[in-house]
Amino acid sequence: MQRLFEIVRLRLRTLMRRKKVEDELERELRFHLDRETQENIAGGMGPEEARRAALSKMGGRTRIEEECRDMRRTAWVETFGADLRYCFRGLRNSPGFATAMIVTLALGIGANSAIFGVIDGVLLRPLPYAEQNRIVRFFLSNASYPRFPVNAWDFLDFRARNRSFASMAVMTRSDMQLSGAGEPRRLSGFRVSAGYFGVLGVAPMLGREFETKDERPGNERQAILSARLWRAQFHSDPHILGRKIRLDGRPFTIVAVMPEAMRHPGNAYRPVSYGETVDFWWPFTFEGNPSRRGSHYIEGVGRLKPAVTAEAASAEMNSIMAQLAREHPDFDAGWRVLVVPLFTEITGGSRRMLMLLVGAVGLVLLIACANAANLLLARATGRRREIAVRLALGAARGRLIRQMLTESVAISVLGGAAGGLTAVLGLKALVALLPAGFPRGGDIHLNLAVLGFTIAVSLATGVVFGLAPAIQSTRSDLQAGLREGARGATGSARHLRLRSALVISEVSLACVLLTGAGLLLRSFLNLLRTDPGFRAGHVVTMSVSLPRETYPNGRAVMDFYSRFEARLRALPPVRASGLGSDLPWTGYDDNMGGWQIEGKQPPPHDEFHARYHVASPGYFQALGIPLVAGRFFTGADSAEAPKVLIVNRAMAERYWPGENVIGRRVNFDGDHPSEKDWTRIVGVVGDVKDSPEKPAAEPAFWWPMEQTQGFLREMTIAVRTDNDPPPVVGAIRRVVSDLDPSLALADVRTMDDIAEAGIAAPRFTLFLVALFAALAIALAGIGAYSVIAYSVNQRAAEFGMRMALGARPWDVMRLVLGHGLRLAAVGVGAGMAAGLALSRLLRSLLYEVSPVDPATYFLVALFALAIAALACYLPARRATLADPASALRAE
Amino acid sequence: MIQGTLDLLILKTLSLGPRHGWAIGKRIEQESRDELQVSQGALYPALHRLEQQGWIRAEWKMSETGREAKFYSLTRAGRTQFDKELAQWERLSRAVGLVLRMV
Repeated sequence: MQRLFEIVRLRLRTLMRRKKVEDELERELRFHLDRETQENIAGGMGPEEARRAALSKMGGRTRIEEECRDMRRTAWVETFGADLRYCFRGLRNSPGFATAMIVTLALGIGANSAIFGVIDGVLLRPLPYAEQNRIVRFFLSNASYPRFPVNAWDFLDFRARNRSFASMAVMTRSDMQLSGAGEPRRLSGFRVSAGYFGVLGVAPMLGREFETKDERPGNERQAILSARLWRAQFHSDPHILGRKIRLDGRPFTIVAVMPEAMRHPGNAYRPVSYGETVDFWWPFTFEGNPSRRGSHYIEGVGRLKPAVTAEAASAEMNSIMAQLAREHPDFDAGWRVLVVPLFTEITGGSRRMLMLLVGAVGLVLLIACANAANLLLARATGRRREIAVRLALGAARGRLIRQMLTESVAISVLGGAAGGLTAVLGLKALVALLPAGFPRGGDIHLNLAVLGFTIAVSLATGVVFGLAPAIQSTRSDLQAGLREGARGATGSARHLRLRSALVISEVSLACVLLTGAGLLLRSFLNLLRTDPGFRAGHVVTMSVSLPRETYPNGRAVMDFYSRFEARLRALPPVRASGLGSDLPWTGYDDNMGGWQIEGKQPPPHDEFHARYHVASPGYFQALGIPLVAGRFFTGADSAEAPKVLIVNRAMAERYWPGENVIGRRVNFDGDHPSEKDWTRIVGVVGDVKDSPEKPAAEPAFWWPMEQTQGFLREMTIAVRTDNDPPPVVGAIRRVVSDLDPSLALADVRTMDDIAEAGIAAPRFTLFLVALFAALAIALAGIGAYSVIAYSVNQRAAEFGMRMALGARPWDVMRLVLGHGLRLAAVGVGAGMAAGLALSRLLRSLLYEVSPVDPATYFLVALFALAIAALACYLPARRATLADPASALRAE
Repeated sequence: MIQGTLDLLILKTLSLGPRHGWAIGKRIEQESRDELQVSQGALYPALHRLEQQGWIRAEWKMSETGREAKFYSLTRAGRTQFDKELAQWERLSRAVGLVLRMV
C-alpha cells in the first residue's frame, strides 16, 4: 500500500517537476563520471586520459538518459508535447505539404464519416420499438407469390394456435377522407387488429388501444390518431378523447392518440413506407364465413416470445398452415408461411447498396492513406540527414518512430477535424439526395456515434499511413545517411521501391472503384435507354376516393366516375384523359387468380393468375401505352354491352404463346359460366414493368371501367396535355368540387415525377460511387505525380548527362513517361483483377450489363492509364529541361 | 549478464546499506572479483526502474568525496522483494545445476 503511494508520488513528481527531475538525472550521471575519473587518476592515469577513459566506459550518454526517462513511464506524456510542438513547426515550414496532406485526409475521412452516418441511422441503430429484435413480419408464400398477404380467418387460427408469439396482429391500408375540419383531406389510414401497438411495443400517449371486443363487426367507428394529425388538425387538444370526427362522411370516436415516436413499420401490400407515414388507425373487424377463408389482403406482424427465433416461429407457423390446409383444402392448400424479422424487412432492400457504398468509401480512405504515406515518405527523404544524425547521437529508434507517428497522427487529426466538417456537409447533402421513401432515411442524423467514428478513423488513419514511413526512414544505414547528405542520390532505391508500391496499390484500388462506377454507369444508361412502356411528358396524375356514406353502392360510384370522365374530356387543354385502378411504377401489385381460359387447363397445382387493373377508354392514350393488337376500350364498352378485356403482351405470351389473342375468351364467374359470362379479349397493349429495374413485365389485364359495377371506390386519373400540365390541375380541382364539394383530390404528381422516382435509387448509387471513384483516381494521380517528380529530381544529373551526350528531349520524356506508365500498368492490371473478383457483388444492382462487361474494363483501363500519363507528363517535361552544366556542377 | 540478475545484485548490494550508483557498480565488480562488469547503460536505467517500482528509494546525501550524490536505499517493500527474488534465484540455479551435473 505504502509502495503504491510512493509510486504515484514519483510519477506525479516526474510530471509536475520535470525540470528538477531532469536536473537530478544530469547531476547523478555527472557525479558518476567524475567519480570514475578520480578513480582512474588514483590508478595512475593522467587527468586527460582518465577523463577520456571514463567517458568511453560510460558509452552513449543520451541513450542512458533516454532509457532512464523511459523507466519513469511518464516519458510519453512529456515527449508527446515536445513532438507535437516539433511537428507543428515542421508543418508551418512546409505549408504546401501540410495542405496536401490535410485536404487528402479531410476528403477521405469526411466521406467515410458521412457514409457511416447513413449506415448508423439505417443499419446500426435499432428500430424505435421496445425490444425491436423480437418483432417479425409474416407472409404467406407459394411458387407464384413469394410474399403474399394473409387472410382474416387464417390469421385468427394462427393467433389462437401458435405458441411462439407473445402477441400478433394484422394491418391493412385503408385511407379515408377527413371532412368537417377545414378543406377535405385524404388521410393515410390503417385498419389494425387488437393489440397491434402492443406488438410494436408502443403505448398510446392518450387513451387506450383496440381490444378484442373492437374486432367485432359494428365496433369499427373508432379512431386512434397520430401525434402529427392531433397536432395539425386538432391543435393538440388534451381533451380530445371521446370526440367525434367525420371520416368518409361517417362519425368516428377518437379513443387514443399515439406518441410522436410512433413509426409505421412499413408494409408490402399497397405499400406505405416506414416512418411517420400514417395519420390514423381504426379497428379491423372480422366478418364473413370462417369456412370461406376470405381474400388475402391483410398483413401480419408479431412479437416473438423471449428466446424464440424467427426460424423456430416459422417452423411452428408452417405446421399450423399444414393443419389448416387439411381442414380447408380448397382455400389453404399450397401455402407456406414466411417469417421475417422486422428489421430485415425494413432495411434488407437497401443493405447491399449501402454495403457497396461502405466498400467504395473505405477504398477511398485506403487510397488517401497510401497517398499520405507517400507524401510523408517524400518528406522523410529530405530529413534523412537529420534522422541519421539523431540516431548516431544515440537517440533510440523507438523514440524516433514515436515522434514520427505523433506527427502523422497530428496531421490526421487535423485532417479529421476538416473531415468532420466535410462529414457534416456531406451527410446533409446525402440525406437531401436520398431517393424519396428510402427506408429509415428519416432516422439519419449527425450524432455522437458519427463524431466518435470520425475521431477513431482519424487516429487509426494517422497510425496506418505513418507507420511505414516511420519504420522505413529510421531503418536507414547510419553511415550511408550521413555520407549521402541531404541530396541522397544512392541508397534510396529501397525508398523508391516502397513509394512505387504505394502508387501501384493506389492505382489498382482506384481501378476497382472506377470499374464499379463504370458498370453502374452502363447499367444506369441502360435503364434510361429502356423504353418504360409509357410516355411520361406532359401528363399529370391524381387520385380520388369516394366515401361509402355518400356513394353507398356501385351504381353511385359508377355514375360519379362516368360523369367525371366526360367532364375531363371536355376540358380545353386536354389531349387525352382516362381513369384507372393505378399508375405505372407506383408499387401496385394486386393479383387475381382462379379464373378460366376457354379451351385451356392450368398447370397442375397452379392456377391462371395475373395482375388485374381497371381502365376507362382514354386511360392508355393518356399514359401513352401503345396498342399492340386489336383496339382500346371505347364508349361502346358499357355495362350492358358484351364483356371485353384488354391484356398486355406478357399475358398474351404466357397463356397464348404463338397464337392470335384477339377474340379469345376468359371467364371470371366461377365453375359453370353461362354464355354471357365469357369475357372477350379485344386488345393487346405494350408491357409496362412494375419498376424500371425489373427484368420483365408481369402478365396483366384490364377491365373496362364501365363494366366493373363500381367495385373500385378509389381511382387514379391521368391527363395528357399539349404543354406543361400544371394549369390543368386547377381546372380538374374545379370539376371535382363542382361534382361533389366534399371530395379531396390526392396524390397530385406528374408522370415525370413518377418516372424520376423510379430511377432515383440507382441514380443515387451511381452518383456516390462515381464521386468516390473520381476522388480515388484524382488521389492516385497525385500519388503517381509525386513519385515520378521525386525520381526525376533524383535523376536530374543523369538526364543532364544524357542530354549533354546528345539525347533529344523526347528520349528523356519517353524514359520518364515509360517509368510512370509501367507503374500505372501494373496497378491497372492488379486493379482489373481485383475488380473482376469483386464485381459479382454488384450483380444484383446491375441492369442488363454483365459484371464482367469487357467494354467497361477496357475503357476503365484506358482512362486510368490516361490519368497516369497526365500525372507523369509534368515531371517528364521538367526532366527534359534539365540543364547538363548545372546538373554536373551540383554533383 | 542474465536478464533480471542485475536487479537482484542491486537489491543485494543495497541490503548492506545505502549507496550511490557508482559505488553500487564498483561493489558488484569487486565482490565478483571483476567477473561481472556493470555498464552504466544498464545500471542507471535499472536503478530508475527499481525506484519507480517502489523497491528502492533515492535521496541526495554527502558522499565520501564531499560532493552531493544520489544515494539509493532499500524500502520495506524492496526488502521483501529481495527475499522473494533471492529464493527464486536459488531455486533456479539449483535446478540448472542439477541438469548440468547430470551423467
